Amino acid sequence: MSESRPYRRPIDPKWWWAPGPYRAYTLRELSGVAVALYGAVLFAGLICLVSGPMAWDSFLGFLRSPVSIVLHLVLLAGVVYHVKTWFETLPKTMPKMIVNGKQVPATEITRKAQMVAAGCSLVLVVIAAWAFR
Amino acid sequence: MPDVALAAKTVQLKVLRYRPGQDAEPSYGTFEVPYTDDMSVLQALQTIKDELDSSLSFRWSCRMAVCGSCGMMINGTPKLACNTFLRNLPKGPVTVEPLNNFPIERDLVVSVGDFVKKIESIYPYIIPKTPKTVEEGPYLQTPAQMAAYESFSDCINCMLCYAACPQFGENPAFIGPGAMALLQRYNGDSRDGGQQKRLDTIHGEDGVWSCTAVGVCSEVCPKQVDPANAINQNKTNSAFDFFLRFVRKDAR
Amino acid sequence: MDHFDADVLIVGAGGAGLRAAIAVAEADPSLTVALVSKVLPMRSHTVAAEGGSAGVIQSTDSLEAHFHDTVAGGDWLCEQDVVEFFVSRSTPEMIQLEHWGCPWNRKPDGNINVRAFGGMKIERTWFAADRSGFHILHTLFQTSTKFPSIKRFDEYFCVDLIVDDGRAQGATVLSPVTGAFTAITARSVILATGGAGRVFRQNTNGGVVTGDGMALAYRHGVPLRDMEFMQYHPTCMPGTGLLFTEACRGEGGHLVNKDGYRYLQDYGLGPVTPEPRNKTMELGPRDRLSQAFWHESQKGRTFETPGGDAVWLDLRHLGAAKIKERLPLIREMAIEFMDIDPALGQIPVRPAVHYTMGGVPTDIRTATSLPGLYAAGECASSGIHGANRLGSNSLAELFVFGHVAGDEAVKFSRGVSASDSGKLIDQAKASAAKALSLRDQKGGGERHAVLRKEMALTMEKGCGIYRDAAGMQATCDKLAELKRRYREVTLEDKSAVWNTDWVTALELGYELDVAEAVAASALARRESRGAHQRLDGYENRDDAHFLAHSLATYREAAAPEISYGPVKITTSQPAVRAYGALGEALEAKKDAAHA
Ligand SMILES: Cc1cc2nc3c(=O)[nH]c(=O)nc-3n(C[C@H](O)[C@H](O)[C@H](O)COP(=O)(O)OP(=O)(O)OC[C@H]3O[C@@H](n4cnc5c(N)ncnc54)[C@H](O)[C@@H]3O)c2cc1C
Ligand code: SF4
Ligand code: FES
Repeated sequence: MSESRPYRRPIDPKWWWAPGPYRAYTLRELSGVAVALYGAVLFAGLICLVSGPMAWDSFLGFLRSPVSIVLHLVLLAGVVYHVKTWFETLPKTMPKMIVNGKQVPATEITRKAQMVAAGCSLVLVVIAAWAFR
Repeated sequence: MPDVALAAKTVQLKVLRYRPGQDAEPSYGTFEVPYTDDMSVLQALQTIKDELDSSLSFRWSCRMAVCGSCGMMINGTPKLACNTFLRNLPKGPVTVEPLNNFPIERDLVVSVGDFVKKIESIYPYIIPKTPKTVEEGPYLQTPAQMAAYESFSDCINCMLCYAACPQFGENPAFIGPGAMALLQRYNGDSRDGGQQKRLDTIHGEDGVWSCTAVGVCSEVCPKQVDPANAINQNKTNSAFDFFLRFVRKDAR
Repeated sequence: MDHFDADVLIVGAGGAGLRAAIAVAEADPSLTVALVSKVLPMRSHTVAAEGGSAGVIQSTDSLEAHFHDTVAGGDWLCEQDVVEFFVSRSTPEMIQLEHWGCPWNRKPDGNINVRAFGGMKIERTWFAADRSGFHILHTLFQTSTKFPSIKRFDEYFCVDLIVDDGRAQGATVLSPVTGAFTAITARSVILATGGAGRVFRQNTNGGVVTGDGMALAYRHGVPLRDMEFMQYHPTCMPGTGLLFTEACRGEGGHLVNKDGYRYLQDYGLGPVTPEPRNKTMELGPRDRLSQAFWHESQKGRTFETPGGDAVWLDLRHLGAAKIKERLPLIREMAIEFMDIDPALGQIPVRPAVHYTMGGVPTDIRTATSLPGLYAAGECASSGIHGANRLGSNSLAELFVFGHVAGDEAVKFSRGVSASDSGKLIDQAKASAAKALSLRDQKGGGERHAVLRKEMALTMEKGCGIYRDAAGMQATCDKLAELKRRYREVTLEDKSAVWNTDWVTALELGYELDVAEAVAASALARRESRGAHQRLDGYENRDDAHFLAHSLATYREAAAPEISYGPVKITTSQPAVRAYGALGEALEAKKDAAHA
């Protein structure tokens, strides 16, 4: 009879809140909720718009309320964090980019993609500001 | 190796011990080891074994971070003991434990059999696109074609990525990062034509779909293999294959 | 006791063992191969080989040139017919590895790229960055999984061979996982257990390189050949002995002493040229470079480090990009282990023991003197390395002779029938009992870790780069003492599961036997040749008396008996062994004479 008796340590049920990369992962996933919530806000606006002027006005009223402004600031922070980390994960999810026989480093892909995202956002803001001038 | 009795500076190692013949479950043993600036955690363990307690068991061989034997949790992070240096660790006791998520056979030795089976299951060899005899000479492969798979071929099978993966912890049958890196190494090789054959291992819960892109596997990899990338590329492959099967069925 | 019956048993799953296993499986898929390794195959020490593997491929190169470099490099102690065979088979083996997926470095057009190596006249070293052995080993291991007839015994430790009816018929193996033994019986046995570098203190070898297979055969009456020739590699990390590959110099790295002077020019290796020049300066052979270091050290032109004195390896002029592409592992090691970026700073290096030229003698078809027993790889003395191995010849050797060993074992297995398995298993039981007695004996309280350190130290002292009779005799005496004390070893750990205390104690038994063969063979060779250099009146090569292979024969509880066997010479008569300017001049003269 062998003494061999492999021991399985229980896995940490709270691994997702372990400090460092695991918590960063959980926050990244959670920040996705901000994107969804903001989508919900827009969707609510859309419903109000089709429901008639009264509903639309109350929606606009809501938007101007302090609660909404705080909510939007929180959502903005969440979305920015999500965008930033989404592009940090991007190189891990796409096929390798080979340029001139060499692999493009992940950091470079992330940096360029984040710059493009920031640029696009800026252009949108400028267009919006111009349209509502 | 310095003499334990005469050492001026020492460092404390807290090592998780488990001896199946005598221990019901693992517990920590504490050792005071002489410290030198150039000392790796592996050397500290060897000092323990040679001079303090020869019953401590761990695997090692090359001492140069290439054989993949000496993976363990050092201060809670999966690392190779031979290229983790005491001078780079925070002051205070160093905690050393066997790799997370694997059954412990004894002390720092974990079971590796399942991992080896996973490697074997993915057809880890060239299935030639166009067979050639030795007399016909080598295949041509440009540096760009090599770059497509090269980093995946750098995997030393150290299993650190598995110890970092919570999904593997939840589901030991999950094929996991290292084996997927190897699969991608062959799939990405211009000489290989076995992609279709390897699809079976990537589908389903035990295939790539256990992965939720935590991504820590790539962070702990000592050889920059980026196994997370291999897994996620194969999610795309798995999804495509899923839909293509419908199309193919319809066509039939 | 468990029993497994195979057709071919292979002990060792490094480069040589895996190549042999594949050869058997390809030759005859109906034969069962038992492939035993004390570590997972991809942990075998082949994994650490950095520089590359030799095979003639350039149109300007020739098999003769490879032959002459090898024979002269070995100071004419090579079996020349074997070398001829070896160089002719090497390139096809490299191509075979390429077909199996080995990521050899390529030229921009997709063709194989080769690099320069020490003592080689033309670039002929195939390489995969500076992780050649790693890529080769993983390619072979992964390819081997294709063959269902290969039954692996991963992490099984071989404690003895089974020899019956005058032939090798299997082995007794221990599984550390359970502490249980298995008798593996087979019609033929291939040893592929690697070298014995760990018997020395500072060495480049992994912990598993303890000469087990050599000792196994030796104890069964097979003599060990040319054991005095232990190669010192000139560029290793002081203290740990970790290797900085010769490819550092092949790519153009310089060796300079503490004054910044390229000292090799003082030892017949000049002229100094800005670009690397084959067989000159840093691209001289290893024995000469290690000896030059010794002289520099005597002259006080080296500097002190905590791991012993050292000189500088300078790669800075290669530039960061080339270092990253061609020497990534070296760069990583220098940065991680020493906090030195080789693009910015010089690396301190000193010689360390690297390679066992001698081993279990084989004929050109890898057969040993014991019928049914074959040997390939570093544990074998195939005769190609002579008194000094050229870098990149030993990886090539693994595949050429691993392949042959597989083919031969198939033939032998087909031709014989098994002995009564009960008898063989009884023998295995006796071997197991002996191994167990070491674990369980009361002993006299000796600790094997202490003995191991004393052994490594005395080997370094008495059998280093330069040797004299007094030093070697002292080492022989010390080893005899250590062997006595070994019988008094007491293990703290008496448990069954993963008892590494026990396994390393068994390994020490092998190491002591091999060490003794090294020291006794060295003492008996009264000349200087290749890696064996003496300071006590035998400073020159003495072809009249010692153009001969030494053979150490095991004797129970006594020093080995040393005898000599002939060296096979075909086309290359022993001549002056010269490198640098003199070497070029001599070669030009030879070419002129030919023309
Ligand atoms: C750092 C380093 C760099 C090198 N670089 C080069 C190079 O660039 N070019 C070159 O040509 N050569 C190089 N060499 C030499 C070359 O790598 C080795 O000679 C070669 O790899 C040995 O291969 P092998 O198959 O004979 O043995 P190994 O790869 O050492 O394998 C031995 C096998 O035997 C098994 N084994 C041993 N004992 C037992 C036992 N008792 N029971 C069960 N199994 C056992 C082991 O588990 C292992 O599987 C280098 C060597 C070193 C150390
Ligand atoms: S992918 Fe990296 S971490 Fe995972 S086994 Fe391979 S080398 Fe180790
Ligand atoms: S000992 Fe080989 S990887 Fe650490």
